[in-house]
Amino acid sequence: MKRRYRLLVSLSVVAGAVAAILLLNSLSANARGPLSGMLERVGAGVGALEQSVRRRFSGPGRAGELAWFDRYRQDRELLQRPDSILLGAYESGLPTTLDGVGALERKVGLPLPLIQIYTAWGDKPEQRFPLRVVTAIWDYGSLPVITWEPWLTDFENTLHPELPLRDARDQQGMAAIASGQYDFYIDTWAADAATFGKPLMVRLGHEMNDPYRYPWGPQNNTKEDFIAMWRHVVARFRDARATNVLWVWSPHVAYGYWELYYPGDEWVDWTATGVLNYGPIAQWSEWWSFDQIVGTKYAALAAFGKPLLLAEFGSLAVGGDRAAWFRDALESLPSRYPMVKGLLFFEVARDQTVTYQPIDWTVGRDSSVVQAIREAAQRWAPGVPMRPPP
Amino acid sequence: MSAPARDLWRWRSARPVRARDRLLLGALAGFGLIAVGRLVDFWFRNEHVAQPALYVVLSIALWYGVSRIVLSWVAYTRVRRPEHRVAPPGLRVAIFTTSSPGEPLAMFEQTLAACDRIRYPHTTYLLDDTRDPRFRECAQRHQAVWLELVGLPGAKAGKINGALARVTEDFILVLDPDHLPFPEFLERVLGHFDDEWVGFVQVPQAYYNQARSFVARGAAEQTYSFYGPLQMGLHGLGATVAIGANCTFRRKALESIGGHGVGLAEDLVTSIRLHAAGWRSVYVPEVVSRGLVPEDLGSFYKQQLKWARGVYEVAFSELPRLFRRLTGWQRISYFTIGTYYLFGVTALVFLVIPYLYLWAGVQPASMYFQGFLVDAVPVAASGVVMYFVALRWLAHPATERGTHWRGFVLKFACWPIFLAGTLLAIGRAEIPYIPTAKEAQRGRFLRLAWPQLLLFALYGATVWRVIAKRLHETGEGSLQLSSQAVWGMVAFATLPVVLSAGAVYAAWRSRHPAPGNPWDAVDVTRLGGTA
Repeated sequence: MKRRYRLLVSLSVVAGAVAAILLLNSLSANARGPLSGMLERVGAGVGALEQSVRRRFSGPGRAGELAWFDRYRQDRELLQRPDSILLGAYESGLPTTLDGVGALERKVGLPLPLIQIYTAWGDKPEQRFPLRVVTAIWDYGSLPVITWEPWLTDFENTLHPELPLRDARDQQGMAAIASGQYDFYIDTWAADAATFGKPLMVRLGHEMNDPYRYPWGPQNNTKEDFIAMWRHVVARFRDARATNVLWVWSPHVAYGYWELYYPGDEWVDWTATGVLNYGPIAQWSEWWSFDQIVGTKYAALAAFGKPLLLAEFGSLAVGGDRAAWFRDALESLPSRYPMVKGLLFFEVARDQTVTYQPIDWTVGRDSSVVQAIREAAQRWAPGVPMRPPP
Repeated sequence: MSAPARDLWRWRSARPVRARDRLLLGALAGFGLIAVGRLVDFWFRNEHVAQPALYVVLSIALWYGVSRIVLSWVAYTRVRRPEHRVAPPGLRVAIFTTSSPGEPLAMFEQTLAACDRIRYPHTTYLLDDTRDPRFRECAQRHQAVWLELVGLPGAKAGKINGALARVTEDFILVLDPDHLPFPEFLERVLGHFDDEWVGFVQVPQAYYNQARSFVARGAAEQTYSFYGPLQMGLHGLGATVAIGANCTFRRKALESIGGHGVGLAEDLVTSIRLHAAGWRSVYVPEVVSRGLVPEDLGSFYKQQLKWARGVYEVAFSELPRLFRRLTGWQRISYFTIGTYYLFGVTALVFLVIPYLYLWAGVQPASMYFQGFLVDAVPVAASGVVMYFVALRWLAHPATERGTHWRGFVLKFACWPIFLAGTLLAIGRAEIPYIPTAKEAQRGRFLRLAWPQLLLFALYGATVWRVIAKRLHETGEGSLQLSSQAVWGMVAFATLPVVLSAGAVYAAWRSRHPAPGNPWDAVDVTRLGGTA
């Protein structure tokens, strides 16, 4: 073979190899290989395909009922400045089924365009970006809200030898994230979120000022480190062009110093807080009205100038008039708390996260509460909450 | 067929095993073991257990299959072809072939004529219980000694033992009557008895009627790998299996274990007893005879049921009794052979799982299916690659090489038979010893295909129900989130249905057996030699 041809052959072999490698990498999503990445997309695709086939036979269903909401959820700008209240729910049938949300929707007679799910950081398949569930929520006509919990102990040292040992990770974990130690995970998640492409809300590291509950709290981290973590994560997402994500900053306003954890206007799209009335079931709680929980904090929350999400909204039945609690809370929303632009019912039948006994937050089976919600909504101004035009 | 390389009637030998072949097989086996390790690490996690009892059952079924694949890799890495040894003159050799009532006389004409043409001096004995004078005449025509052995218990093996007491030769070739030996048969095997501890020398079973039907081809394909690389590997492990036909025994060896074993798996029983008594075995991977493989599904099923029932005797009675006197590899080998027909049970497990899920919502394991695929595919790929690489050592590659898909389809078709064999063995139920039919039997379609047709009906009803349910009942909010699991299970149920189509096809074709008898066209004066 002539030298010219040898050179040509060598170059084309190298070029072919480069092309093959690039092709394989384009099929994969960062930390995940091309095979599992592709299979995951196939899985989400099969579900979407079946849903669309069925709609051809039995009509557009719930997604059709929420067609009016499409204009909002497709428009990130509009979602940053909503002109009415968006209702929604987390329902404990998730992430297996969305039918519980549909059932609640029919009971209270109000559309619930927001649907929340919870997911933790870690190596397990269910800790990846929940593409299948998020796609299902979207195809159900809703806007996904993901509460994304930065637990650091679910990463295996065998897979990530550079990480500190499991027991040593929580201490100053936020600083570790900010320094880039967990970028392998953040970048994959961000790339998948960008692949999803449609707007979604992400509530990252919620209740970061509660020193008892989560490892990302002040018992392990400084507020400066939390803010650095937040900005780092958001910056990684922007680098990955995952600009479809709306960032929800969600402190626990019953504990002090929460304002100091605010990462800054350019890093946050929504603010949020939980509003759960535990009543007298625990030593540390008593029957608090909505005003008592939110009232004194509202001014400071509103001062950030961002729409406010009531991310976990509910009351137990013991210790007071539950229906009245809901009626009073909802009626006061548009008039006294105009920055509240989102509300997620916490529809969980057996919550064991805070107390040792499972407690029931559901409103769907409490007809007096359902009635109270319906009445309160009727007294709201036309167009509130966000619902189909008449 | 006419091409010399594909001529069935010439002497053939598996290719020699070179050092670099062993290196390649070792490397492939190593790669496969790493893949298996990864799958172990994935499979056995507590978070994957959904329904504990079913998870255990499924795990047993899966790992039974994987462990057999791994053991075949071990055998492949030990593939050996023994050096040929020239047969010394003057050995006293007998050939035993048996005839039973109903077997076709014309076939014996051919077999005994072929025996007569074997070059090494020997005496052929026809062990006869037909009470038909024509068999005696036939023996005499071909210089064979006719021995009438009527009313002995233990069918074929009983006759062999009876004959053993009446003749004096030192070496006995047990030849199935449907096998046409080539003139060089004895020259190729007798030299190995130089080693006074060699108890038996086995050669492959090769066939000449495989082209006559789908079943014959599939049944033959099932055996190619066994009589090629697998037995060569077992030879390398010191655990060659005597398979009754085409096996040459040392009389002293047979006498040391009280004669040829008796029962449905008389060959295996003899084999394990000889090994336990310390006799060595040799496998000569050369085609020095050709015989018949079942041509119709009914005969094939009967043969398989007989073997399935019989082989368990090795696992249940022989192996525990002789365990301490066997070498490590012999133990593993006989255990693996003795549990081969558990495939009938594991196939049932895999069959039932999707229906349990689709009808009752029960599933044994809850795992991330993509994760399972990513770890299981390398194991399956290693199995496939290893299987095909090992096919280099087929006894006659020109006619035996291929994907062997008919063989796999036919093996899957047998799961109800294997299951029945397993249950009969556990219940110690006896089934009569019937020689495998030499002439194709006309099969009744429904009688042969009903298990598969039942499966088709179940599958159809299930798919119908799944579609109806998901179109009208499943909530809109559940449909998309459950579709991966449901359709994954439907796909899992589809695979056995596709495989079963082969069994139904075989049953359909068995309605009309191929015309004529395979031995009619054979010219025994032209057997053997190189092309």
